[in-house]
Amino acid sequence: MSSTRFTDALTRLVDALPEPDDFPSTARNRELTARVGTWLGACFLLAFLTGVWSHLAQLPDPVLPLPTRPVWLYRVTQGVHVAAGTAAVPLLLVKLWSVFPQLFRRPPAVRRAQVLDAAERLSVLVLVSSASFQLVSGLANSAQWYPWSFSFRATHFAIGWVAMGALLVHVAVKLPVIRTAWLEPQGQPAQGTVSRRTVLGVTWAAAAVAVVTTAASGVPGVRRLSVLATRTGTGPGGIPVNKTAAAAGVARAAADPAFALVVAWGDTERRLSRADLEAMPQTTATLPIACVEGWSASGVWGGVRVADLVDLVGAPTGSAVLVESLQRVGASSRSRLPGNVAADREAILALTLAGEPLSLDHGYPCRVIAPNRPGALQTKWVSRLEVRP
Amino acid sequence: MSTELRLVRTTMAALGALVGLYGVVRFLGLGWTNLLATLPWLAGVVVVHDGVLAPLVVVAGVAAARTLPAWSRPAAVFAVVVLGAVTLVAVPVLGRFGAKADNPTLLDRPYAAGWVGVAVLVLVAAVAIAVRGRRKGAARG
Repeated sequence: MSSTRFTDALTRLVDALPEPDDFPSTARNRELTARVGTWLGACFLLAFLTGVWSHLAQLPDPVLPLPTRPVWLYRVTQGVHVAAGTAAVPLLLVKLWSVFPQLFRRPPAVRRAQVLDAAERLSVLVLVSSASFQLVSGLANSAQWYPWSFSFRATHFAIGWVAMGALLVHVAVKLPVIRTAWLEPQGQPAQGTVSRRTVLGVTWAAAAVAVVTTAASGVPGVRRLSVLATRTGTGPGGIPVNKTAAAAGVARAAADPAFALVVAWGDTERRLSRADLEAMPQTTATLPIACVEGWSASGVWGGVRVADLVDLVGAPTGSAVLVESLQRVGASSRSRLPGNVAADREAILALTLAGEPLSLDHGYPCRVIAPNRPGALQTKWVSRLEVRP
Repeated sequence: MSTELRLVRTTMAALGALVGLYGVVRFLGLGWTNLLATLPWLAGVVVVHDGVLAPLVVVAGVAAARTLPAWSRPAAVFAVVVLGAVTLVAVPVLGRFGAKADNPTLLDRPYAAGWVGVAVLVLVAAVAIAVRGRRKGAARG
């Protein structure tokens, strides 16, 4: 193809592209965009803050120790994280629908305006890409579906910052329009049978139905309505299993009658069989398992206080404890109880759940359960507790 | 533009740039393999939305505006948006892609039946909206 024929074809193609005025719906206008956009922004901010909170809670050695009370705090933040992300799906789709004609606006004639236009388009591209990526990857992760090879946790966290940054830039660019749309709204256009009000009402309805049917499974009472939730919320002892003993490769070692827990403090080492642990003073606590994937369930756990085990090897109260699992590989194979957590009277090396011995999949012979922590840090099949100065 | 508004906008844009840059640095710090595995997804979500989903919705909207009577259009929008969003959100559970044979507590609901139940309720609500719209239209005459 000669270059003139190529440019001709390109010109014809560009002429065939629709222009913003070609999109007929009169429901599209800045008032609609600003309203849906404001709520969408609020959802992303909530998801961002709760996501950062979860990241801080999973740091092995936080600079600032996170509180152990209220026990439900982590559970609520992660429920909010997934609910906000779920609500954002219909909000994002309607928001993008409302501005879709803008994708076809022709570049301005003046050079300076062209540069600004291109810069704004680029910032919007980054925002749309990172925001959509967060929703898609987050939803798949909550159902333990990984059709990719990137590291979910680290990538979702990094792109979360990118999305938040692009969102702030976008709001800064659009602030005058947003302000006018809220403070001096234009009246409804007369023609058109699907009004702005209808589109708004339908959008809120879609967000509400999406949240109730999928993400509200951690809310007692609403759980039954969550017919599309990733879990019914039950399992052995009334609590779902995130990773089974078989999947963790510990089934044989955990069921071995010769199992002994090692508690170490410097040169002092104590070996305790499950019977030894059962012979120690027992305590119970009602604590939730709150998974980073958004589900949570509360159980009555029984066992030995971590503080008593720290005491047993003569270590000072308030020492941090390194927890090792029979599980050899994976992020959940070890965790660290900061001093304030290890000293908490509800930080337990659990032997029972709901009055029954722990099931193999819940961490038999013994597991850690402590208040206000991510489920990933409630280490199962504990083999070694190392008290650190 | 008032100076106050300008100050707010400048601060927000600068903060946004810093926050976004921190994300980019973290992302790049995850290494080449991770970067190359993520890029198709970052691009794919935009291509699928702008190239497939959005044009389909626009075409469907034009077709509906030509064929459906005016009183039924709000109800149609309600049914399509609510059911469409819920179906998209439910793709991971409807496909049960993450199901594991050794873990019966994961993806343990009858999702097809659940989806049909939601669809029936949404359609019933849509019919109610349409009936109301028709009465209103008739009253207005």
